[in-house]
Amino acid sequence: MRRLDGKRAIVTGGGSGIGRASAIRFAREGAAVLIVGRAANAEEVAAEIRAEGGAASSMIADAAMEANVAAMVERCLSEWGGMEIFFANIGVTGSNTPLFEQTVEEWTEVYRLNTVSSFLAIKYAGRHMTAQRCGSIILTSSAASLRANAGAISYSASKAAVNSLAQTAANAFAGTGVRVNAILPGLVETKLTRKVFEDARARGVEAKLGHVTPLKRPGRAEEIAAAAAFLASDDSSYVDGQLLSVDGGVSSTHPYGRIAL
Amino acid sequence: MNLRLNARVCVVTGAARGIGYAIAQRFGREGARVACVDVSARRLEPTVAEISAEGIEARAYAVDVGRRDDVGAMFAHIEADFAAPVAVLVNNAVWARFQPLDEIDGETIDQMFAVGVNGIVWTMQAAAPQMARRGGGAIVNLSSVSAFHPAKDSIAYSALKAGVVGLSRAAAAALSPKKIRVNVIAPGMIGTKASVAQFDETTLATRQSEMPLGRFGEPEEIAALAAFLASDDASYLQGAVITADGGWTVPAR
Repeated sequence: MRRLDGKRAIVTGGGSGIGRASAIRFAREGAAVLIVGRAANAEEVAAEIRAEGGAASSMIADAAMEANVAAMVERCLSEWGGMEIFFANIGVTGSNTPLFEQTVEEWTEVYRLNTVSSFLAIKYAGRHMTAQRCGSIILTSSAASLRANAGAISYSASKAAVNSLAQTAANAFAGTGVRVNAILPGLVETKLTRKVFEDARARGVEAKLGHVTPLKRPGRAEEIAAAAAFLASDDSSYVDGQLLSVDGGVSSTHPYGRIAL
Repeated sequence: MNLRLNARVCVVTGAARGIGYAIAQRFGREGARVACVDVSARRLEPTVAEISAEGIEARAYAVDVGRRDDVGAMFAHIEADFAAPVAVLVNNAVWARFQPLDEIDGETIDQMFAVGVNGIVWTMQAAAPQMARRGGGAIVNLSSVSAFHPAKDSIAYSALKAGVVGLSRAAAAALSPKKIRVNVIAPGMIGTKASVAQFDETTLATRQSEMPLGRFGEPEEIAALAAFLASDDASYLQGAVITADGGWTVPAR
């Protein structure tokens, strides 16, 4: 008996990075997964899962648009016959332009993709899950939501809002059997952070990546996926409204150097 | 069941009952070889017999973790008995009294800290070199929501459990170079016999109805979280504090 046998999951931002690793992990633990991405790589991940005997399908959609989120929930219900897990994982890093040059337009787009997408996941997954009185909603936040200097300013602020959504939604769903939690990854090589890693390699300082974390290394997408699988499964049945740091310890200590991101 | 802890020597303190028992059992079911530590040999014996009956390799160590020399000797015995160094340490043992401020006495508070704070220092001190020799390890320390959200008459207990958070985060930073992870669980109200016994029936019903899930947590739910933190699934968690309280302390009151 695997932990996610019989469960159905939606993973947004599932075409690469943390979303891809989580979709694969969920499927290996027995879940049927609808992988949502903004490009064709969502289907590549689904095909990869099917090739190893798992159950997966894909959908191209912007998970920050209300009609799309409603549609992906409908799709999961009709295609897989239900939905117990929603991993709201899409996000963008925001611009590192100097503060005085940042525009409302940039901020609005960062908030739309990071924060509004989380709200929509809670609204549409929550509506279905509270009615069936069970479910786990997982939001991708960031270590940057807790500390400055770990990401762009708009990114950090938008992820702090995601933390609040995990708590306020968990409270709103109290007594319904639906749990809402956030994962706060540290530095992990994904599409969002690829430039950081490529720049470090180009300068020959790759070994310095993640050196401000106690574990002295960046995380791997699979390590975030393992935490997501815990939160998706009944192993976390008494964990609700929590901010789970998976950051090599960077948020547990005083920062003592510049964090490259 | 996954065998995430396959063949690893895991030490669980306060293992005779409640959360400690559930952790020892869950670890065993995930393949661990379990050293069950408790101050009471009388309580520990049936626990180890029950767990062993499942086919789990479990050994009993009746030791007061507040005694540094005894703890050091015990870890040497554990390594010899299992013929392998310790890979995982769960500090669950606690001794506590809940008293109003004017009734707190020196003997009580000394005993609480001897077990609940000093005891964790002594076990980590003894376990870390063994973990380092095998190339790393995982330590899970039990705090409480009382560290952040104190309950009635919990001045000493809140200090104790806040102390667990501080020492664990400091240990996480200190032990990182040895590839030892240290993380913390802060349980809310868990329905162990000991925690339920402190309430009369009416108070118990009221307390349970105050929980967002309408119930206390089960020891097995804390054990599932402990298993995650002890396993390689948590390989990038370091110095983290994870509350497992069914959302009890999420809203303002």
